Amino acid sequence: MDKRAFKSPSDDIIHDLKILAAEKESVRRKLVVTAAKLAATAEKLAATAKEKEVVRRKLAVTAAKLELSHRTLEKNVLERTKSLEIVRAKERAILLSIGDGLIATDEKGRIILINRTAEKLLGTPSADVVGKLYSEIALLEDEYGTPVQPEKHPVKMALKSGTTTTGTTYYNVRNDKTKFPVAITVTPVILGGKVIGTIKVFRDITNDREVDKAKTEFVSLASHQLRTPLSTVNWYAEMLLAGDVGGLNDKQKKYLDEVYRSNQRMVELVNALLDVSNLELGTFVIEPRSTDICKLARDVIHEQKPQIDARKIRFRFTCGRNLSSMRADPRLLRMVIQNILANSVKYTPPGGKISLSITSADKKDMLIKIADSGYGIPRRQHSKIFTKLFRADNVREKDTDGTGLGLYIVKSIVEKSGGKIWFESPRENRGTTFYVRLPIKGAGRKNK
Amino acid sequence: MKKIPNKKTILVIEDERPLLEAVNDKLSKNGFGVIAARSVDQVFNANLERNSLGIISAQTIKQALDYLDDLEQVDAIWLDHNLLGKENGLDFVKKFRANGGRWKDIPIFVVSNTESPKTIKSYVDLGVSKYYVKSNYRLDEIIKDIKMSLDQPAKRPAKRARK
Repeated sequence: MDKRAFKSPSDDIIHDLKILAAEKESVRRKLVVTAAKLAATAEKLAATAKEKEVVRRKLAVTAAKLELSHRTLEKNVLERTKSLEIVRAKERAILLSIGDGLIATDEKGRIILINRTAEKLLGTPSADVVGKLYSEIALLEDEYGTPVQPEKHPVKMALKSGTTTTGTTYYNVRNDKTKFPVAITVTPVILGGKVIGTIKVFRDITNDREVDKAKTEFVSLASHQLRTPLSTVNWYAEMLLAGDVGGLNDKQKKYLDEVYRSNQRMVELVNALLDVSNLELGTFVIEPRSTDICKLARDVIHEQKPQIDARKIRFRFTCGRNLSSMRADPRLLRMVIQNILANSVKYTPPGGKISLSITSADKKDMLIKIADSGYGIPRRQHSKIFTKLFRADNVREKDTDGTGLGLYIVKSIVEKSGGKIWFESPRENRGTTFYVRLPIKGAGRKNK
Repeated sequence: MKKIPNKKTILVIEDERPLLEAVNDKLSKNGFGVIAARSVDQVFNANLERNSLGIISAQTIKQALDYLDDLEQVDAIWLDHNLLGKENGLDFVKKFRANGGRWKDIPIFVVSNTESPKTIKSYVDLGVSKYYVKSNYRLDEIIKDIKMSLDQPAKRPAKRARK
């Protein structure tokens, strides 16, 4: 029998027991390792808990700080808001209650604010206009009653140009079609170089116009009334000087001559005042017709020949061809040439030079040039020379005669005739050159 | 009342007495006969003040016939715009021209201090010979024009005068 073949049952049990023991040992060792790991983990956990506690505490502190700063912030914001509201309310009150009409728009020209005066002037309550476009309310007309195109509207101009736009020749038309003359100033609101809106300030100038008109009418009436006694003095002095009622001795003649000449001066002053009031009342009529400007200029020169000769002034006159039938109002054209030439003669010292030339500047315009070698116009007074009643210092010292109205009248006439006037006077005592540019075809008939 | 040949008569209508006298004297000095009036009413309806040193003696015309007779002798009219009474120079020209006949050819010289373009245009449209702004003209200048116009009776277009 095979030994191997023979196995007692106890052998198997022993074998199994040994295996079991080995396994047990392995498990035990594993357990030991695990226990060690657990201990480590427990240790770690303990540390984390500590840290956590620290963090928690820190968080609590931060939260407390946050709470505090939140409260402070809230307080600050509240205070700031309150003060802003005060400022805003004040500004609003100021804007709303100022005596002039005020309309604020955004960058598109949409109305964001309209004050009480504006509401009243335009007859439109704020609620109806806020949010609307500038061109939809407060319709504008020019002085001839033509509606102002939206792109020419002062608000649009200010938005486009970024500069303040003003105008005094507009009329505002209300919804009920009534209108009033208005003076407008539109200022752009600029932030960071960008136009973000406009402020339009405007006012009804009906009253100003009326006062102005009354004043001008008064001057007109007074001047007109003055003409009758002036004519009387004129005519009686004329008859006395002519010897109609007997001869005069030299002294009598001289005295009477002074009376006559002073009276002439007064007549001229009254004429100038009437011209001014007509220009300002808009009753100055321009009646263009075919005019020979060369002939007209020759007549004016002829009239002033005695003064030119008396001052021994060398005079030159040139007149271009093709100007014999320009369209102009001969009376006004005469006034223009006569006034400028008379100034040249008066303000050029004896022995000086004056030249008058009339040429066609181009196909459309002709140019009158009157140059003298006279006293000139002081540079600092260049800008004032066309203003009413202004006389330059250097000529006021030399000559008391002169109304300060001539160039004002001339400029008004030239501009109403569609022309331009300017001058050059580089230095005192180096003469003055006046230029007048006028359309050859005239400016059309105007009663304005 | 017969008219002496070559002696021209001017009807002067001017409301300001000193001016009327001045015109009267100067015209007389220049050999004109003068009929003077200070209102339109005076010319057409009532006492025509004949103030002449020339042919027409100074007496009042009471009768319309007399006045017509006198007006027949007028060679030219010196007319102011503003006159005494309700009517002005324009009313005069209209009435005068409305009578037609020889009258419509009598030259009228308006000498007034009114310079309103509308007024002047109305006169020019009515065919007056010339319009003078009174204070801007010497008597002898206006009289020279009248003489010229009477010497050459050919109708000249109305001119507006102002210096």
